[in-house]
Amino acid sequence: MSAFLALLKRDLVLSYRQGIDAWVVVLFFLAAGILFPFAIGPEPNALMRVSTGVVLSMAALAALLSLDRLYQGDFEDGSLDLMVLGPLPLELTALAKALAHWLSTGLPLLIAAPLLALMLNAPSESYGPMLLALALATPALSLLGGLGAALTLGSRRGGILLTLLILPLYVPVLIFAAGLISRSLLLEDDPTGALLLLSGVDLGLLAITPWATAAALRQALR
Amino acid sequence: MATGFNIHRFANPGRFLRLAGALLPWLTGGAVILFAVGLYLALVGSPPDYQQGDTVRIMYIHVPSAWMAMMGYGLLGAAGASALIWRHPLADVASEAIAPVGAGFTFVALVTGSLWGKPTWGTYWVWDARLTSFLVLFFLYVGHIALTHAFDERQRGRRSAAIIAVVGLINLPIIKYSVDWWNTLHQSESILRMDGPSIDPSMLWPLFTMIVAFTLYFFAVVMTRMKAMLLEARHRAAAFAR
Amino acid sequence: MSRKRLRLYLVLATLVVLGIAATLILRALNEELVFFLSPTQIAEKQPNAGQQIRLGGLVEAGSVKKSGETVAFSVTDLSNNVRVSYRGLLPDLFREGQGVVVQGAFDGAGQFVASEVLAKHDETYMPPEVAKALKESGRWQETEGKGTAQPAVTQ
Repeated sequence: MSAFLALLKRDLVLSYRQGIDAWVVVLFFLAAGILFPFAIGPEPNALMRVSTGVVLSMAALAALLSLDRLYQGDFEDGSLDLMVLGPLPLELTALAKALAHWLSTGLPLLIAAPLLALMLNAPSESYGPMLLALALATPALSLLGGLGAALTLGSRRGGILLTLLILPLYVPVLIFAAGLISRSLLLEDDPTGALLLLSGVDLGLLAITPWATAAALRQALR
Repeated sequence: MATGFNIHRFANPGRFLRLAGALLPWLTGGAVILFAVGLYLALVGSPPDYQQGDTVRIMYIHVPSAWMAMMGYGLLGAAGASALIWRHPLADVASEAIAPVGAGFTFVALVTGSLWGKPTWGTYWVWDARLTSFLVLFFLYVGHIALTHAFDERQRGRRSAAIIAVVGLINLPIIKYSVDWWNTLHQSESILRMDGPSIDPSMLWPLFTMIVAFTLYFFAVVMTRMKAMLLEARHRAAAFAR
Repeated sequence: MSRKRLRLYLVLATLVVLGIAATLILRALNEELVFFLSPTQIAEKQPNAGQQIRLGGLVEAGSVKKSGETVAFSVTDLSNNVRVSYRGLLPDLFREGQGVVVQGAFDGAGQFVASEVLAKHDETYMPPEVAKALKESGRWQETEGKGTAQPAVTQ
């Protein structure tokens, strides 16, 4: 457990000291989001309809940004070899990495989301469901992203390949998150089903991705 | 490595080459004959549908392609798993041989489905659960192919691709049951259902013929590709030894 | 804790989490991700005017009225129905008694204005989803033509 926390702390300190990750992600998120009023036209109703969807999809794209650095640095300087030899099972290392990624991107995105929603004229009653959906969706994005980063570790054109590989896998998560928003918002309906589904997907990924990520890391280090 | 275990006997490349040499003519010949029969039955010998008229004939391409796409991915996942667990070289070769073929069938199924959807549903594409999960299947194939070729070291690419193949297996039951779990525009299963097929025998037999033809063709192409890859590897090893 | 033991705990934890995930998803599947709503669901939910909805059901027999480019028809699940008006081309398979999925919104007067009409085709004559909706609304009827396609009758 302490090894897990130590690794988590190290990753967070690294990302904090480098000082770019979270800011770059948030700035990209906002900058990409405000393209939409210009592209769609500033008509409030049109923006309102797409606002939560734009927030969700921009968050998914922004979460991709820092992924290719997730294992790359440790892979190049040999820290990853030490992690394999260390006391912590590689599956838990993968989990700690995904958690660190979520804390340094998912969480800042969650904090920045209301700002983007405001700029996009999102209806006020949509903020709650949108934040709930984002809070449940971003961990899934980090877990899947960690898998993608491990799979493409050391490849030619890693970043593009990672995007190609991971974006389609983000699709179901986005669908369920959007479903949660529309269920709880539009029909004044009971969103329990959507909530269960998204949490179920989260837990399923939590169970599966660390094993797959660890397997991918072992392939990278062989 | 693991000897005495039944399936491993066929994992020997030399044995596989002999087996493929013996099977390939039969697979190819069978595919050609059944394609001829099946296409005749599908285009001429079967009745138009009582609702859709002649449009229903797209089914004879669409359904077998979709089956091949899913069977291909099932095999890809199985090959990936055995490549990861038993480290069979042949499983790696099989994955690399299956992926583009499966991707091709997925593409054909998507395109024919789209062309079928326009006259019957009134749209080329909707984002319902069946169509979306099938599109994800296509991207899984594409990701698999891209990963296979993304590394300077071949083996690493193949193993990474094997992992995505195994993880992607989750998508297969989602595709299969999407039409039952969710209200979709895509109609439910007509062939593999509890109370027997809901297709008239006059249309079911042409469809089965086409499915068998597609299956033989699939294995013929995959085996040819595997054979070519193994011979290439053998040739390269021989040139290297000289 | 030895490494072997830790791995064992990991496997156990994974299985527990997977089990919970499967339970959640299976429970959710009973009520979630509908491509369309049935007229009965719409009657229960009373959606606001202007809000985009997908409505699914059967085109009620005898309800289709064409005037110029505008078509008006009722979508029914045999216990409730919704009046729909639509301007545009209908798909080939649109006919009375056939399953349709209609995208659109209610206007102020309670009329459902469709922007898109999709036909749902099924050789068992009635789409199972509609049949399910019918069963749930307690008005299930066996319809003719179930299970077999009658050959050689073109449209």
